[in-house]
Amino acid sequence: MSATGKKLSQKLEEIYERIKAEIPWEPVGPTPMPEIPDLRQWDMRLLKTYAPFYMPFCDLCCFCTYGKCDLTEGRRGACGIDIATQQARFVLLACLMGCSAHAAHGGHILEFLIEKRGLDKKIDLGTFIEVEAPNIRTVVGLKPETLGDLQIALEYVFKEITHLLDSCHTGQEGSALDYESKALHASMLDHVGMEIADIAQIVGFGFPASVAETPLVDMGWGAIDKSKPVILVSGHNPATSTVVIDYLREHNLEDQVEVCGLCCTALETTRYSSKAKIVGPLSRALFFMRAGIADVIMTDEQCIRTDTPQEAAKVGSAVIACLDKAMYGLEDATEIDTDEIVRRMVDNKEQFAILDSIKAAEVAVKVAMEIAPQRKKGWLTEEEAIELAKKCTNCKMCEQVCPNLFNIGGGITEVAKGDFDLIRQQILQCIGCGKCEQECPNNVPIFKIMQTAASMETWKCRTGRGPVMDTEIRNVGAPITLGTIPGVIALVGCSNYPDIDDVADMVDEFAKRKYIVVLTGCAAMVAGMKKDKDGLTVYEKYPPDFAAGGVVNIGSCVSNAHISGAAIKIANIFAALPLRGNYEVMADYVLNRVGVCGVAWGAMSQKAASIGTGFNRLGVPVVLGPHSSKYRRLFLSRKEEDDWKVMDARKREIVDTVEPAPEHLAYVCETKEKAMPMIAKLCIRRNDTPQGRAIKLNHYISLYRKYIGPGLPEDLHLFVRRDADIPLVYKKEVRAHLQEIGWQPREPIGLPTLIGTYPTKVPVDAVIH
Amino acid sequence: MSSVIPRHRVNVLTGIKSARLVEDPAEYANLIKKAKRPLLVIGPLLLESSPDGKLLLEYALDIAKVANIPICATAQTKGKVVELGVKPDSVYDVVEIVNALKDPDWPGVKKVGNHDLVIFFGIRSDLGNQSLSTLKHFAPHLKTMTLCKHYFPHANYSLPNFKKDVKWQEFLENLVANLEKGS
Repeated sequence: MSATGKKLSQKLEEIYERIKAEIPWEPVGPTPMPEIPDLRQWDMRLLKTYAPFYMPFCDLCCFCTYGKCDLTEGRRGACGIDIATQQARFVLLACLMGCSAHAAHGGHILEFLIEKRGLDKKIDLGTFIEVEAPNIRTVVGLKPETLGDLQIALEYVFKEITHLLDSCHTGQEGSALDYESKALHASMLDHVGMEIADIAQIVGFGFPASVAETPLVDMGWGAIDKSKPVILVSGHNPATSTVVIDYLREHNLEDQVEVCGLCCTALETTRYSSKAKIVGPLSRALFFMRAGIADVIMTDEQCIRTDTPQEAAKVGSAVIACLDKAMYGLEDATEIDTDEIVRRMVDNKEQFAILDSIKAAEVAVKVAMEIAPQRKKGWLTEEEAIELAKKCTNCKMCEQVCPNLFNIGGGITEVAKGDFDLIRQQILQCIGCGKCEQECPNNVPIFKIMQTAASMETWKCRTGRGPVMDTEIRNVGAPITLGTIPGVIALVGCSNYPDIDDVADMVDEFAKRKYIVVLTGCAAMVAGMKKDKDGLTVYEKYPPDFAAGGVVNIGSCVSNAHISGAAIKIANIFAALPLRGNYEVMADYVLNRVGVCGVAWGAMSQKAASIGTGFNRLGVPVVLGPHSSKYRRLFLSRKEEDDWKVMDARKREIVDTVEPAPEHLAYVCETKEKAMPMIAKLCIRRNDTPQGRAIKLNHYISLYRKYIGPGLPEDLHLFVRRDADIPLVYKKEVRAHLQEIGWQPREPIGLPTLIGTYPTKVPVDAVIH
Repeated sequence: MSSVIPRHRVNVLTGIKSARLVEDPAEYANLIKKAKRPLLVIGPLLLESSPDGKLLLEYALDIAKVANIPICATAQTKGKVVELGVKPDSVYDVVEIVNALKDPDWPGVKKVGNHDLVIFFGIRSDLGNQSLSTLKHFAPHLKTMTLCKHYFPHANYSLPNFKKDVKWQEFLENLVANLEKGS
């Protein structure tokens, strides 16, 4: 029986048991542990306005032996699939890969920490965080109190992944919209999986929580003391890197061995020890490996290069693969005696997989200390680089294969003339894939040459701080929903495309304008890889608080769940809407009332696809860089034609607002210049007060003028409801423009919601707080 | 793209039913002239200078002028277009204009009917090619062409990969001359 005395179906009874429904912290909403169909109507409502926009990469489907099938000109494949549905299937697969990566990461961390700390280890995120797991509470309906409770949530995620992956098999789902609904489902689950992983890490490793001012750590190659033995940890899972730190601490070696990291493992390791250094994002991996600075490279999972063993062998770095997801064909030495492994690695230069992190850590330290004194580490001199560059004929073969489309040969030929300026600029655009060097007919060592130009500067990155505090949410809930804090900008994911500097520029632009800027993953790193004229990075220049003008490093990829979590907490803590099993109400609140915009500017991975799509289901628009058109799908509206009707929950009537707010859910911008006003525009919400709207439009107009051109934005009239919405500084000009085009004032909406505009079990009353 | 097309009709090398390569400016000019309602979509790469120091954008404006083609200014190109004394007929981003073009009932930037030929010029080749793919698959009512120095397989008509910018520039100049002839 439910709390209301209504008889439950057997399935729901089982769910109630798993989520411990008898603990009455909140009533259970309509969709605890939702399955594929349960939030489908919400998805379909979103997709009606924000229709999938497909950009097929190729014209074929080659998934099964019926094909390859030509899907051009309206043709269907042998199974009956059309081009749109095939794109949607591909998107779902990408989202599932992303969701699986984080969920499996969470699974591994949980298993590791439960073994160390026990099933009953309490979840405590500090004094200022009571709503510890907003995604799990909302989606699963469970309030996790122990590490063991996180397992319950994870089992649900694993089960759903299986059903979703099943639907990708040949000859099943025949609707692009249903595949998109499934992709939205998978990506919502991704945020649950990420939250599980990061809560476990915070609790199990003692990462910072309930604190804003976390330490500033050193970043960049220049920060690494290569005279010491250097251990490089690479990937996303800190199970091993934290144990390396433990080993060094226990043996009083912390000041004698350098631990540095690439990608999210770097961020995680600095959450554990502020002495650890960040090398940089994935794009720096191949450069750094080829420099040979690392004595030992320890890989874990996700964004690690698949050629790590080969690259390491070329420069004499030792390799230990620490997780089963990437074993590189290496001998599994987990059961072999530690001293024997060390001997074979030092004497025979053998590489191993060691899946026991304690053993892997001990081996890594011992090997690093033994081999470091014998190894030569260094870069080419500029003179040597100039000589090598002379082999370049600027044939442009490199440019043809460059995923970021820049003229590498041009840079190298300048080096041959002794000018390094162009190549210094190009390294900021380089995604570090190495395709150019592979293609070069003259075997020019492009990476070595670029290394000499790579900045040896060091920067500062603020350590990831985990969840936004409940106290902060209470302070900013009102100004965000009223619009007087003009928006929350979340710069997330991979970082290099199209230019590494763009992220720092965006952070600076929006922090300066008193938006709240939050960052995760590689974007959080590169935000710190640019200094202003006073030599300060954005982390030194702006306060670390979740408040107007703050720049907040939330943490690694899995910390993205704390950004979606913060949006949910605004609905739950500030607006006092119950969240338990109440996803639709949370998402509807965020879509209509929380001015937040995600920016995955350099997104590369499948994980970025699921992170972004998960934000989309929650009603958060995401801006992507130009190369992200290769993800194949956006969610776009057509502002002049689409349906912008909402329910005014106070008046109980459907109102045509005319205003496209937010205008898109997944959008590609070609340039940083275009992205700036677009991000500001995507923070506009129907709930804005006139004062809040005027502030938002002020930024929209001024960013448009700064980056696009003179005049007013072409769609400005759609966002002006009444004269009071017009920013004071542009009053005269905007009024004249509106008069010229025959604009008419509109009544603002009291309580905008999509609930009531589509078939749903959720009553309109549920959105009134 | 000289590989032999196998029995199945899709190019197995790229997986893309590729654009027709056009190297003759007169042929390109004829294709443009034949169109009833062409549209020139210009991108931020045109803000760079060509080898002779002329802004690439000026070629676009010349083409639009001699062939009387409306312009859609994407990204931040509007600013420079205005600076050069031209008012763009429309300002949309690439994905926005493509989203509108997909709809056969969209009235076009001149409000007289959707366009029958869309010319891309100066859009990053990854985004450009993906956008052309959208039009190829979902806008059978129109044809597409590119004026950039790289081959765009998803277009209907594309220029080759120009190794030397000077050759590309020559093509553009000849194209303007050919368009002028008939105007």
